[in-house]
Amino acid sequence: MIFNSFAYFILFLVPAAITFRLVRPVAQPWVCIAFGGSFFVFFSLTQIGGAFGAACLLIFVWETIFSRFYRQGSLLCFVGIAQTILFLIVFKYWNFLTGLAFGAPRHNPLYWAGAFLPLGISFFTFEFIHYAVDRYRGTTPAGTFSEYMAFILFFPTMVAGPIKRYQTFLPGLREPSLEWAADWRVGMTRILVGLAKKFAIADLMTAFTNHLNHADIARAQRWVLPIWLLAYGVKIYFDFSAYSDIAIGSARLFGMKVPENFDWPYARANIAEFWKHWHISLYRWLLDYVFIPLGGSRCRPPRVLVNLLLTMFLSGLWHGAGLNFIVWGLWHGMLLAVHRTWSKWRGEPKSPPSAAGTVAAWATTFVTVNLGWAFFCMDLPTATFFLKRLFGG
Amino acid sequence: MFDFSKIASVFSWIKNFFDYLGASREEPPPGAAFLSSPWWLGIWWGLLIGLVLLFCGQTSKFIYIDF
Repeated sequence: MIFNSFAYFILFLVPAAITFRLVRPVAQPWVCIAFGGSFFVFFSLTQIGGAFGAACLLIFVWETIFSRFYRQGSLLCFVGIAQTILFLIVFKYWNFLTGLAFGAPRHNPLYWAGAFLPLGISFFTFEFIHYAVDRYRGTTPAGTFSEYMAFILFFPTMVAGPIKRYQTFLPGLREPSLEWAADWRVGMTRILVGLAKKFAIADLMTAFTNHLNHADIARAQRWVLPIWLLAYGVKIYFDFSAYSDIAIGSARLFGMKVPENFDWPYARANIAEFWKHWHISLYRWLLDYVFIPLGGSRCRPPRVLVNLLLTMFLSGLWHGAGLNFIVWGLWHGMLLAVHRTWSKWRGEPKSPPSAAGTVAAWATTFVTVNLGWAFFCMDLPTATFFLKRLFGG
Repeated sequence: MFDFSKIASVFSWIKNFFDYLGASREEPPPGAAFLSSPWWLGIWWGLLIGLVLLFCGQTSKFIYIDF
């Protein structure tokens, strides 16, 4: 519990947003740094990571200092990327990777019993990598020490995004909106909508999704299984979009705008459109820093499909250190590959789609996306068992 | 039988309506200017706060945060 806690609003968001508005512009980045650092330490100590987690604030300090040496075309940018990936491997994937090599913890001589995740590591590392790559390409300004540190320690988005871009964040930091009334009206509405989505919809689905375990799946009547899975699809959308609403609304209280993350993804009529509207900031990050550098769509068709699969493999792995997440990512990679192949074969449609065709396309997208959630919310053996019961009885 | 373009424009209006209610859109859709009045804002906030108070007793973690 972070963004739906009293501490978030009373200790951090409201005082930070008001202080930010009242201080002189030169001090505004330092307000973000002070509150962001305090936020990281407070919620590390109380929620995840403990004292060692809190000490990981030094990662932000180190990153800010090291990033001052980035130049266009400089190899130091790659060193920065490598060390960021190393942080991610050590904290998030160590036990998973060593477990693949050695097996269960009792057989694994490299097993790290005290492993913990620094708060938001999956997200702030992506912002580190974005900055290093764009500095190398010369597509983002350096900014000052305090401005970059404010960017990476901006607490409304630190923990779970939306994944920001420095070149769009910096103008908002240097010249935030002065429309107090409008910003607070929109920001507070967004936050309240997020909280209502979280408590009144997402959390209610837990009554169904709690049954997604081997024992309950084995006992359940077959017709109940798709209801439980659909409930998870509803839950994860309202849960994550609620968090994004709170983060975006919180940033608006500062007079700053951060990227949107969801735009009716379940209403989309194909898997490519789904991914352009689900976790939008992650989709754009993967597009700019994985898919396009691999060659994107400019390669021969078989290589494009490989690029899609590889990108979604990494997406799955990023979502969690587990084989089930990898399968989930590859499931979506396969769907995207099938969609692309079919679109190429069909060619440009000569007329707008029919109503029946649109409904069929939407239903196919909706069902295949929701089937994929089985791998997201259950471990691989349980997900496989679930799908066998669902389709095989 | 169905005017699909009309259905699509209705869906578009509904989307914009909910986007404005959710504060992800700055301007209300055509024909819904009443949504920007302070009275409506007060009612909407009251409803949202009521929902939050009614349902907030449950144990609650965000999926993407607690990796």
